[in-house]
Amino acid sequence: MTLAEQIREIAAGYPQSRSAVLPALRLAQEQHGWLSPDALREVADALDLTPAYCQSVASFYDMFHMKPVGRHLVEVCTNISCALVGAQQVLEAFESELGVKTGETTADGEVTLRALECAGGCGWGTVVAIDHRYREPVRAEDVPTIVSELHDA
Amino acid sequence: MSTPEPVTVTIDGRDVQVPKGTGLVETALAAGIEIPVFCYEPRLGPAIGACRMCLVEVEGMPKVQAACVLSAQDGMVVSTAQSSSEAAEAQNATLEFILVNHPLDCPVCDKGGECPLQDLTFRWGPGASRMEFPKRTFEKPIPISPTIALDRERCILCYRCTRFSEAVAEDGQLIAENRGAASVIATFQDEPYRAPFSGNIIELCPVGALTSTQYRFEARPWEIQNVPTVCGMCPVGCNIHATTREGKVKRILSRNHPEIDQGWLCDKGRFAYAHVRARDRIADPLKRIGPRRYEDVSWDDALDEVERMLRNAGGRIVTALSGSETVESAYALAKLLRQGLGAHSAVLPEEVEPALDAFRAPLATIGDAEIVVVLGDEPVVERAPIVDLWIRAARRNGAQVLASADGERVRSSERVVLIWSGPGGEALPALAAGLGIADKPGSAAFHLPQTANGRGVADAWAAAGDADPENPEPIGLLIVSGDEAVANPAVRAMAEQAESVLAISMFRTPLIGWTDLVLPGTSYLERDGTYVNLEGRLQRLRRAVIPPGPDELAWLAKLAERFDVELSPYPSQVFAEISAIAYGGLDYGLVGEHASLPPPVEVGDVPKPKAAETAPGQGLRLIPYRPLFSGPAVERVPQLHFQRPGPEVELSPDDAQRLGVSSGQQVHVRSNGTSVELRARVSRDLAPGAVRVPAPHAADLGTHVEVST
Amino acid sequence: MPELALVLEGADDRDLTKLGEYRGVGGYRALDKARGMEPEAVVEELLTSNLRGRGGAFFPMGRKASFIPKPEDVPKPRYVVVNADESEPGTFKDREIMFRVPHRLIEGCLITAHSIRSQNVFIYIRGEYLAEFEVVRAALDEARDEGLFAGVTVVLHRGAGAYICGEESALLESLEGKRGQPRSRPPYPAVSGLYAAPTLINNVETVSTVPKVIELGGAEYAKIGAPPNSTGTRLFSLSGNVARGGNYELELGTSLNDLIFEIGGGIPEGRKLKAVIPGGSSVPVLTADEVDTPLEHDAMTERGSMLGSGAVIVIDDRCCMVQLGLRVAQFYMHESCGKCTPCREGTRWMVQLLHKIEDGRAEHEELDLLLSVCDRILGKCLCPLGDAAAMPIASYVSKFRDEFRVHIDGGGCPFGGEASLEGVMAPVDQHTHHPVAEVPA
Ligand SMILES: Cc1cc2nc3c(=O)[nH]c(=O)nc-3n(C[C@H](O)[C@H](O)[C@H](O)COP(=O)(O)O)c2cc1C
Ligand code: SF4
Ligand code: FES
Repeated sequence: MTLAEQIREIAAGYPQSRSAVLPALRLAQEQHGWLSPDALREVADALDLTPAYCQSVASFYDMFHMKPVGRHLVEVCTNISCALVGAQQVLEAFESELGVKTGETTADGEVTLRALECAGGCGWGTVVAIDHRYREPVRAEDVPTIVSELHDA
Repeated sequence: MSTPEPVTVTIDGRDVQVPKGTGLVETALAAGIEIPVFCYEPRLGPAIGACRMCLVEVEGMPKVQAACVLSAQDGMVVSTAQSSSEAAEAQNATLEFILVNHPLDCPVCDKGGECPLQDLTFRWGPGASRMEFPKRTFEKPIPISPTIALDRERCILCYRCTRFSEAVAEDGQLIAENRGAASVIATFQDEPYRAPFSGNIIELCPVGALTSTQYRFEARPWEIQNVPTVCGMCPVGCNIHATTREGKVKRILSRNHPEIDQGWLCDKGRFAYAHVRARDRIADPLKRIGPRRYEDVSWDDALDEVERMLRNAGGRIVTALSGSETVESAYALAKLLRQGLGAHSAVLPEEVEPALDAFRAPLATIGDAEIVVVLGDEPVVERAPIVDLWIRAARRNGAQVLASADGERVRSSERVVLIWSGPGGEALPALAAGLGIADKPGSAAFHLPQTANGRGVADAWAAAGDADPENPEPIGLLIVSGDEAVANPAVRAMAEQAESVLAISMFRTPLIGWTDLVLPGTSYLERDGTYVNLEGRLQRLRRAVIPPGPDELAWLAKLAERFDVELSPYPSQVFAEISAIAYGGLDYGLVGEHASLPPPVEVGDVPKPKAAETAPGQGLRLIPYRPLFSGPAVERVPQLHFQRPGPEVELSPDDAQRLGVSSGQQVHVRSNGTSVELRARVSRDLAPGAVRVPAPHAADLGTHVEVST
Repeated sequence: MPELALVLEGADDRDLTKLGEYRGVGGYRALDKARGMEPEAVVEELLTSNLRGRGGAFFPMGRKASFIPKPEDVPKPRYVVVNADESEPGTFKDREIMFRVPHRLIEGCLITAHSIRSQNVFIYIRGEYLAEFEVVRAALDEARDEGLFAGVTVVLHRGAGAYICGEESALLESLEGKRGQPRSRPPYPAVSGLYAAPTLINNVETVSTVPKVIELGGAEYAKIGAPPNSTGTRLFSLSGNVARGGNYELELGTSLNDLIFEIGGGIPEGRKLKAVIPGGSSVPVLTADEVDTPLEHDAMTERGSMLGSGAVIVIDDRCCMVQLGLRVAQFYMHESCGKCTPCREGTRWMVQLLHKIEDGRAEHEELDLLLSVCDRILGKCLCPLGDAAAMPIASYVSKFRDEFRVHIDGGGCPFGGEASLEGVMAPVDQHTHHPVAEVPA
């Protein structure tokens, strides 16, 4: 199935097709790696919206990437519950293991590191999401292993 | 529709009676109390309560409330900032928050002096800023199109502009991007905001965030004059203010006529005014002295020459009119030719069937219709843009928009509006009569003619004399009146046959080589007089700026003396003459600034529609149309060029599928041994069997074409 | 008071993500019972139970259901929307419900749908919850295959990362495919919700409690907890500087002290309790002296705080309250939708002021200015997010004013770089498109 066909199939599950914007953008992002102008145009065409509209919606949500990102996404929750138990140390461990600052992508384009608002695992902080799979709790000393796993993946 | 019951609301201790459901902002206004607003603008759909400028106290409701989202209920007790310290504190809070990140660059801001934020700050604002951090900064200003600049630092995020784009024009081009304090107004990938009504956002913006690139730094509010007049760019006749400074038009603003335009303008009406200062504007009469050479001559010499040409033609005169003449100047020309010279022949602009006056109604009728039937081949927005907005409003209000008047639903519905966009409108009166439109309140029938004052010109021409005999053979003199006529290929063809050609025109370039004498024409912005719009409404044009020479009426009156024809140079007197014949003696003064629409006339004989003549041919029927963004004025305003349609062909979804063509693809369109390459666009509102091409790109294609990839 | 598993009942012993197992503990019997009742009778049970919303506002669910107009009065579809967007910092209970007892949620959805004669249920799950999404999806497939839906459609819809979409009207906008910006109310969702049709929207935990209410009957349920206002159990999400963080289902009325020190094992490493946030990051803080408060509505209100989302965040003595305020303010600035002025501009200003105080460059007047900014946000925004930012910050200042003063007088943070939140990176700082709190050096 083409992306457009997949999107229309999702849209058929809603009373109004516009409701399928978020799932459609997610699909497009999975296929393109990020929401490039072409990806936005494809979503717009499939749902009979304007590309501008899709850009407006997509840019509202944190999980959509309006710029290219790495093949893997490492997200560290730094909201208060995690921060109280050492999230910053975990984040810094990732920075030094990966050799990037938070918000950046490794030079080989493999990994993007981000800080995240509350991931919803506060009781088991620090929460780290690797490609949206949660690891909890993560301590600074666990980071080298996680990064090497990532490189092997 | 019944009027709601009246209710009593107490505002700041004053009782006021309004119909139930009236907005609280309007209710307060009725009590003489102003509730300040930024985001509230009823024309943009339901209030969103975003800016929080309108906070008031309402008895029985916790916390302060946004007045803009509330409506009058009986017994409501409201305290605004004028009587409630809580409301005043809330208002000050909002104002402070707005100013926290708003630059204090009022002295160099185009909005300065006519800025609601500046006014409110002056009236309510804090004396000193408590915010001492760096304000949000953005690159400023950025062009969001060649006509509009956006200064994001000044934006207060009231979302008026994006709501206009989304919910009024429905173009979906202008958006809010990002979230929270990082939100900005934007377009897709910073591409230009290209849509026919984009300029309205400039007027909607309550601060200086959206400004006109043409007007930027051109004038300060205290140096300008706003002249109330009417747009002359299409048959809608939107009401406008022409802002002038030192004798020059600096911008066009809307002058809301709720029945016609609701305060919206299309970009052609708003931005094309700059044509009056075009580089090839003709200031003095021109006489041909070689195949492509002309010299300036004095007005006296020119009028001598015109007199000579008229007499030489011996009545074998044909006049091609543009439909942009005022009623008065068209009448003056007609009277001179018909009474002075016995010359009757004319090429009139596309006709509006007078029988339609039986179904006359304001354009606003469309907005409340149950069913809107759009007939004719051409896109409504290209002919009469504002009508497109009314149709969209109707659809939002729940109307069905159909492409055919067949069917029981149309017949039995109470409020039906028929709209004919394109040639062939003669068929409309019979259709309207058949549906009983005249007897159904809230129903109407409109033909969208091609020109701004085609109706008025036809009225004037008819009022000045009897019916036309055959066209003279050969043509002794062809008079080409106005730039639209100059640009008309049929007129050009006629000129080849004519012994001499006299043109009245604003622009030099298109006249070279085929005209013998040229008299400078004037723009609608330079004239006094009357236009009749597509509704049949008489509207007053007022001179905003002085033309470079005498206007048409002035020199026609002089010329008339030489032929013993009595003709006044004053529009009011000329109008009185026409009015006695054509407009039931309506007084010039009554045409006024906010013209009303004359009531419908009795349904008389409705002309039988001619059997639609479809030229036989193979393949797809070609509909060439004149795009809104085309014509002599648009060509002369570089900022509008980006709006001109590209080399495009519209196909119906059926045909596109059959031919395996998708939007964006390059296709070959062939006929008559000609072939053009155009970009395909699949268009839902096009019926199978036809393709549509903007006339400038239709080249020499015939009536039927083949499309292939 | 002990732990009491109603919502999580049976989940410790069996894998209740499986339909068969769930049936084994009596699952879907309440659905049968409810379907045998008139819809109005189901609503009546909810009213009697005084089951209140677990999403934060604590509004009685039965009341909300009773606002939904009858089909004969409003000929439109009626929608049930389940709020599974759980994003309030400190909160992770809905996730546990979805992950461990998805069928209880589904059963609750179907009973709720029956109670308002609805054919359409939407579950809006936050985008980050991928594993939970997969579990609920599988459970839905199972339940659908078993024919439990009886004509009702249930759509599982994933969000995409925006805290504000937990606010009900923003959620509806988002579900309609728009930017998740709250709507001005009235009209309330019960009158004009999803696609402008009557909509009942409730939190995951609330809906997942419904089967229990039907099983026991409203009157029996109402005896549990701290009647009359705080009936039943809640899942408390315990986090922060506590030995055993996690979710604990407790009867309402359990003491906060017991939760932290008995159930949660107290503060690790022999540290001292400094403060507790009892209901998610948006509620006013309690000091160590105030932990004797029972976890129920009235007592919390008396303390000037709220049960909110049931997220108890424990804060030990290494925490700098200015840093805490800054981090909380940064969160709300990041999550402000940008629609209304006070929230959009005010949260940013708060962040700037807190930065300055933390850096020791502020004057005493600026502390008052911070309070004034909070006050100018409070009660003036389009939705409660502005309040959610202003209330906690104002409470930190008023309850720990001395600590704020020390920052000003001492020209910097008294913790000297040793505080638990020292230098913590907030997402708002990593977005280049967020022109944030650049403070002049
Ligand atoms: C800023 C904000 C965020 C919210 N986030 C959530 C949330 O994540 N989950 C939730 O159930 N309710 C959340 N709410 C409350 C909802 O608006 C709504 O009250 C709730 O979903 C109703 O369900 P209940 O009555 O079962 O609690 C939030 C409210 C606000 C103002
Ligand atoms: S640009 Fe103007 S109209 Fe648009 S949101 Fe900003 S302030 Fe409002
Ligand atoms: S005018 Fe009411 S909130 Fe903006």
